[in-house]
Amino acid sequence: MNIPSLELPLSSFAALETPERSVTPKAHYSPPWANTSIIGIAGSSGSGKTSLSLAIIKELSLPWVVILSMDSFYKPLTSEQSAAAFRNEYDFDAPEAIDFDTLVERLRDIKTGKKAEIPIYSFEKHARLDKTNTIYSPHVVVLEGIFALHDERVLDMLDLKIFTEADGDLCLSRRLLRDVRERGRDIEGCIKQWFSFVKPNFHKYVEPQRNVADIIVPRGIENKVAISMVSDRIHKTLDHKSKMHQIELRRLGQVAEDAPLSDHVAVLQHTNQLRGINTILMDPTLPREDFIFYFDRLAVMLVEQAFSAGLCYKQHTVNTPVPGCTYDGLELDGEVSAVVVLRGGSCLETGLKRVIPDCRIGRLLIQTNFRTGEPELHYTKLAEDVSKHKRVLLMDPQMSSGGAALMAVRVLLDHGVEEHRIIFVTYLAGKQGLNRLMSVFPEIKVVVCRIVGDMESRWVEQRYLGC
Amino acid sequence: MPEGRPSPLIRAPSQQLGPDYRPTEEKPTATVSTAPKINNLHILNQTPQLIALLTMIRDINTGRADFIFHSNRISRLLVEEALNHLPVLPHTVNTPVAGRTYAGVKFEGKICGVSIMRAGEAMEQALRECCRSVRIGKILIQRDEETSKPRLFYDKLPEDIKDRWVLLLDPMLATGGSALMAVDVLRSKGVPEDHILFLNLIASPEGVQNFADKFPKVRVVTAFVDEGLNDKNYIVPGLGDFGDRFFTL
Repeated sequence: MNIPSLELPLSSFAALETPERSVTPKAHYSPPWANTSIIGIAGSSGSGKTSLSLAIIKELSLPWVVILSMDSFYKPLTSEQSAAAFRNEYDFDAPEAIDFDTLVERLRDIKTGKKAEIPIYSFEKHARLDKTNTIYSPHVVVLEGIFALHDERVLDMLDLKIFTEADGDLCLSRRLLRDVRERGRDIEGCIKQWFSFVKPNFHKYVEPQRNVADIIVPRGIENKVAISMVSDRIHKTLDHKSKMHQIELRRLGQVAEDAPLSDHVAVLQHTNQLRGINTILMDPTLPREDFIFYFDRLAVMLVEQAFSAGLCYKQHTVNTPVPGCTYDGLELDGEVSAVVVLRGGSCLETGLKRVIPDCRIGRLLIQTNFRTGEPELHYTKLAEDVSKHKRVLLMDPQMSSGGAALMAVRVLLDHGVEEHRIIFVTYLAGKQGLNRLMSVFPEIKVVVCRIVGDMESRWVEQRYLGC
Repeated sequence: MPEGRPSPLIRAPSQQLGPDYRPTEEKPTATVSTAPKINNLHILNQTPQLIALLTMIRDINTGRADFIFHSNRISRLLVEEALNHLPVLPHTVNTPVAGRTYAGVKFEGKICGVSIMRAGEAMEQALRECCRSVRIGKILIQRDEETSKPRLFYDKLPEDIKDRWVLLLDPMLATGGSALMAVDVLRSKGVPEDHILFLNLIASPEGVQNFADKFPKVRVVTAFVDEGLNDKNYIVPGLGDFGDRFFTL
């Protein structure tokens, strides 16, 4: 028998019509939480900064508002300083006690939409703990602390500067109560601290901040008028930002409208089976039981396609049970994990688990605000080491405008996943949305079953989940 | 083929595998299926993930749990490919998106599975995952110790099998003795030759040739055509005894 020539169809992108590399120019996308509004609230110790922050947040009644206390940014103490602190002889109320460099760095991260690790300071130990708190994607941050308006670099980032004022006796009594109850101090130590540090520092450093404040709020939380003024102003800023984000999405869509499909997009080959399954799934009278069965089957095809189109393999030679025989094959190179975009992405999980039963799965909840049409990130839970995974499958059964997909990719990038490691897996995608996604993130790979008209409603998850 | 005379091996080709966008130096090289030029022989696309799955089940060190899981994944790909050969009719439906229709297709004709016991039964799960309530017939064929020829011991098939498309299941196609006999059984029940699809994971060049000679209209769907047979009629490099590795080893 002759040695046959190899004529197998080997392309993983069988249905791709334009083989030439596309030349879509890279566009920029910034998520709605970039350029975060930051409000600074300064004032004497015990003047009611925390209560005022809480009152403002309550009045705002928005998700994604975070209070950032400057207490988190106390410098870690040396052993001598620490000893002095335990004798109540360390000056916590001077600007030198605050690590402004770290604060500025973290605020910059937040302002640019990145993930920020906030240190945790222990007052019992006078040291930073090993743990950190993560702040990601807030729309509003309230920075409160006696020196919130002290540092020039911080001032530059603040959208609103507030100074709270209260009677000195009131401040002292509030501070005593708090330090004894919540911070485990004794009364004598607190009074010693007040007269040797707090009071002199107030006149030297705290009070001058009045001059840079936009508004000065006397009487703290009792001052309802001031609170509602602040909240109105923030609402206006956010509405404006939301509009700008929508305009930006539309602009990206126009840029991408006529671009050819990127060669990083793999469309499933439309075999008879696939068309038959699609026909069944489209039928609005199909019982839900059947919808789930056929959709799961299709999800397996999508994931298998992602395995051939996007994953990395390395050479691997094995011995077979037949004596003396080896086979030069391949094996997966590195871990593959998945991130599902809720709630729709969970419809693809059954299919995913039929291919990788022990796949690690992160979750994002992105919901489109029906009022503004803007996608909103409600929840993020990813594997700790997601940035080290060789490939990450990002799963969402439908994309129309691409707003949620853009946001989901952005979230992965912000958690350290490199762009070329992301494979977006979807059942239906609008051409415009797809091009928009590829023009912003040209290095990602996409696996899609069908390319459809733009702006389809999210009917797949409704059919699959039954509500 | 009589024992003791191994056939000349066909050297399986090597190929660099990976998606088009990836530069050649990033595509690992692996041995891919030989490609005999036979009508009605359908070899699955040699994608990197198919090769990785085959590597897993060929490996002598792969345990039973992994063997079952990964062979099932390949079986599922085979079933999906085989189902594509069934006839369809155009069928346009309204979609859940108001005002849009989808020009789809409707499946025509009934199917059934027939597994050649016992190894063929290992592919039933994959068939069920694609066709929930499919009927599955069984055929038991064993090699007769005296004549060393395959002999039919048992068959139990759907009554109306002659009106169905048959997916015949047996994971390894070596000389093809049992599978050819199974096709004879199906034909004796009135199943037209071109309504039979024979699904297997690994085939030998001799096996597919024997099929093409005797039943040219039967479609053979396989994941890989190996290099040949050894003196004990095992496929090489193969994966050993599929039934043992799946059920008892």
